[in-house]
Amino acid sequence: MRSFQHINVFTLEEAVSVLKDSGGKAQVIAGGTDIIGVLKEQILPDYPEILLNIKAIPDLDYIKKDHEGLRIGPLAKLAGLAKSPAVREKYGALAQAARSVGSPQIRNMATIGGNLCQETRCWYYRYPHSIGGRLLCLRKGSGSCLAVNGDNRYHALFDARRCFAACPSDVAVALLLLGAEINILGIGGKRTVYLQDFFHPLGNALEPGEIIGGIHIPTPPVGAKQQFLKFTLRKPIDFAVVSAAALIVLDGGICTEARIALGAVAPGPRRFPEAENFLKGKRLETNVLEKAAGIALEGAKPLSKNGYKIEIAKTLISRALSACLENESFNH
Amino acid sequence: MSEHPVTLVVNNRRYDLEVGGRPGDLQPTHTLSYTLRETLGLTGTKIGCDKGECGACTVLLEGEPVLSCLILTVECHGKKITTIEGLEDPQTGKLDPIQQSFIDSGAFQCGFCTPGMIMSVKALFAGNPSPTGQEIREALSGHYCRCMSHYHVLEAVAGSVPKAGGTDE
Ligand SMILES: Cc1cc2nc3c(=O)[nH]c(=O)nc-3n(C[C@@H](O)[C@@H](O)[C@H](O)COP(=O)(O)OP(=O)(O)OC[C@H]3O[C@@H](n4cnc5c(N)ncnc54)[C@H](O)[C@@H]3O)c2cc1C
Ligand code: SF4
Ligand code: FES
Ligand code: FES
Repeated sequence: MRSFQHINVFTLEEAVSVLKDSGGKAQVIAGGTDIIGVLKEQILPDYPEILLNIKAIPDLDYIKKDHEGLRIGPLAKLAGLAKSPAVREKYGALAQAARSVGSPQIRNMATIGGNLCQETRCWYYRYPHSIGGRLLCLRKGSGSCLAVNGDNRYHALFDARRCFAACPSDVAVALLLLGAEINILGIGGKRTVYLQDFFHPLGNALEPGEIIGGIHIPTPPVGAKQQFLKFTLRKPIDFAVVSAAALIVLDGGICTEARIALGAVAPGPRRFPEAENFLKGKRLETNVLEKAAGIALEGAKPLSKNGYKIEIAKTLISRALSACLENESFNH
Repeated sequence: MSEHPVTLVVNNRRYDLEVGGRPGDLQPTHTLSYTLRETLGLTGTKIGCDKGECGACTVLLEGEPVLSCLILTVECHGKKITTIEGLEDPQTGKLDPIQQSFIDSGAFQCGFCTPGMIMSVKALFAGNPSPTGQEIREALSGHYCRCMSHYHVLEAVAGSVPKAGGTDE
């Protein structure tokens, strides 16, 4: 790897102040599972002068229940989230999503903060510099999108206009389903953004010098059943071609609350209000679930090579919904 | 600042590494897999993909399997690391039962993936002395074998389970 200075910080405030003083030359490292790869392959024209190790900050890996829900520290490991009794009890979709990431070793290293801030997996964007030079594109601030007229089989179906990269984070799909809020820290103080506002077409809501200080998930509605499902090519260790999460509340067999989220189909995870509203007030027979899945995908705008993702997404939505009804996991 | 020396405890032996620019010094950019192999001469840990996908570089960090190709050595200060070289009995030189079982089952061809696989199995057994077949496959799911020895590996692992009699499906 090209050289950088490595600095341990011991409080979040210190991290924010080093980021500010560095004038954009410092970058945070948490579990390192994404950023080390990005630096080794030099995919970006900018290279940090300083790596700021926030793992040296004590006690930021908490998973705490309180009267408002669940609070998760930015350094909580995905392995810990997948195993945590508190997460599995009421936030099952999050445990399943964390469990679906990478391999056991990756989950022992990867943090939830890093999972939300990881770079896109668009293969043009990720092209290694050592093999004939990196590829520049709109997301890197120079040129146009290479995927839109190229091989876009893993790219977005929704909401993309100039960059068609799909959001790779599995955890974000479960956090969107559960209505999570992200606590952000910067030199100007603290602010909170809802997960649905965190991902932007070309990146995320973090301003230069800001970091994720924590995540809060409100207690899900009483009786809610949830399920996260992911379609990959290589089962044990791969990014999602499409992922889906569903949450259902039934009252006397009638659906009173329905949430549907998809991952890897848009610049961020995405909810489907029309399909959700269609389910409310109905008995959830199989044909109703399939209809809802069809409604969800109605607005999809496939590119030249990713139309197949529509069928996968529909199937995952119906399966996630029916898994909620059976209260039983399709994953394993 | 991490300009102070970095102390690693590898296979119960302590190493103090100077951080700096002189030849042989530890640099902030060095990954743990690089340090183990090139600085400490512990070449049992292999580097396959060097980007987190193959599991060949798996070592135990404080007892947990991690990928040494994605860890900076300077971030391991004060940590306990176990590599494949640390599994044999230092007094008698006797191999760990998992290593012996891999040999007895012929669970490799080139052997490149073997040290990483054995480290994951070691961690599995430490936390779960009678894993099911499903748990064994799960623990090994981050390892690739280019020589297609997977079935022999499963046999070797099943043959070295500390408390046999765990339920298999
Ligand atoms: C082989 C492989 C398979 C993978 N499979 C999956 C998968 O299936 N699903 C999936 O979702 N991901 C997958 N990943 C991506 C994996 O890197 C992330 O899931 C992981 O959670 C990143 O967390 P980290 O702590 O290692 O992040 P790091 O690599 O440390 O950081 C990633 C980015 O986040 C920033 N960052 C980290 N913490 C903060 C913070 N608190 N505030 C602000 N910025 C921060 C860093 O500056 C950096 O830009 C895979 C990666 C590999 C190598
Ligand atoms: S999809 Fe985005 S990241 Fe990929 S080539 Fe197009 S602009 Fe670049
Ligand atoms: S060399 Fe580390 S995972 Fe392949
Ligand atoms: S034995 Fe050759 S890679 Fe597994």
